[in-house]
Amino acid sequence: MPNDDINKQDEEIQALLKAYPMPAAAAGFYDQALVRATHEGSRRQRNRWMLTGFGAAIAATIAVWVVGGMLLSSPQLPDANVAMPGVSIALEEPRTVNLVFASATPLASAMLTVSLPDGIELSGFPGQREITWETSLSEGRNLLPLTLIAVGPTGGELLARLEHDDRNRTFRLRVDVINGES
Amino acid sequence: MRPHFERLYRLAWRLTGAREEAEDLFQELLIKAYGKLDDLIDIDEPGSWLGRVMYNLFVDERRRFARRRMHTVEEGQLAGDGLEGLPGGDDPVQDNERLEKIRRLERALAQLSDEHCIVVLLHDTEGYKLAEIQELTGLPVGTIKSRLHRARSRLRDILRADGTIS
Repeated sequence: MPNDDINKQDEEIQALLKAYPMPAAAAGFYDQALVRATHEGSRRQRNRWMLTGFGAAIAATIAVWVVGGMLLSSPQLPDANVAMPGVSIALEEPRTVNLVFASATPLASAMLTVSLPDGIELSGFPGQREITWETSLSEGRNLLPLTLIAVGPTGGELLARLEHDDRNRTFRLRVDVINGES
Repeated sequence: MRPHFERLYRLAWRLTGAREEAEDLFQELLIKAYGKLDDLIDIDEPGSWLGRVMYNLFVDERRRFARRRMHTVEEGQLAGDGLEGLPGGDDPVQDNERLEKIRRLERALAQLSDEHCIVVLLHDTEGYKLAEIQELTGLPVGTIKSRLHRARSRLRDILRADGTIS
């Protein structure tokens, strides 16, 4: 392709990128962020001595080991019905659950689908029962943080289905709602 | 810190590609900066320092901040809420064309690696100089130039293939 054409295309792309929009911060966001930073910063300073003593034992999230040795590298993927892990969350209180996928080999372009039980939502995706995205897994541990919110008293099973090529595997996590039914 | 807020928020948005994650990243930065207020007073260029801290926070928690971007791409939506509040012009046909081009650009950007996407957005969209990106990321200028070149080249291939550019 002639250089002139490439230059013209580059100019078009530059113009597109230059005009690529983004919205301004929501009204009042900066003030709210400052207030939260002041409160949270003070709290963290108060708790620093505790963190020094207990280190990582104090965690804001629940670590759930969905599977220890990922079998995706093997030809067959048996169901992941090994002792289902579970978490309990309070109604309307966001709680981050870390799902950990351990993979024996890197997996490019794997599809991950999270299916939520009734009454449980993923923060940022209100009303969505099933969320799918493409992801790549590194060799070793891969962390997937999910911030769950119970919007109803009924818990249930959260399913995380991982697909790669023609193989797939489904992981189950029991979600109980405190002061609710399950 | 306030004079730097808008630039930092823009940086957070370009790194994460979505409002919720940008707000989280911005918030994390303020909390971190709160613990260093005494140091901040003595820093010559607090804006650069804050940007560097934000970038490091992003790198440390990339999976968390990258979640939304991955989702929206898969759902065939925009990478983030980038068109929210985009002012329209007088000509609806031109507006639609412009909107469609931006959508295609978003889809093309989503096909770049994070490293390439961030460099091209900071340099070509936000107007950061190479030295500023070096200051922010700690990468050698040669690496930044190379990523910029590859990102542009990849964008050219994608946008040419889908007919966005002639």
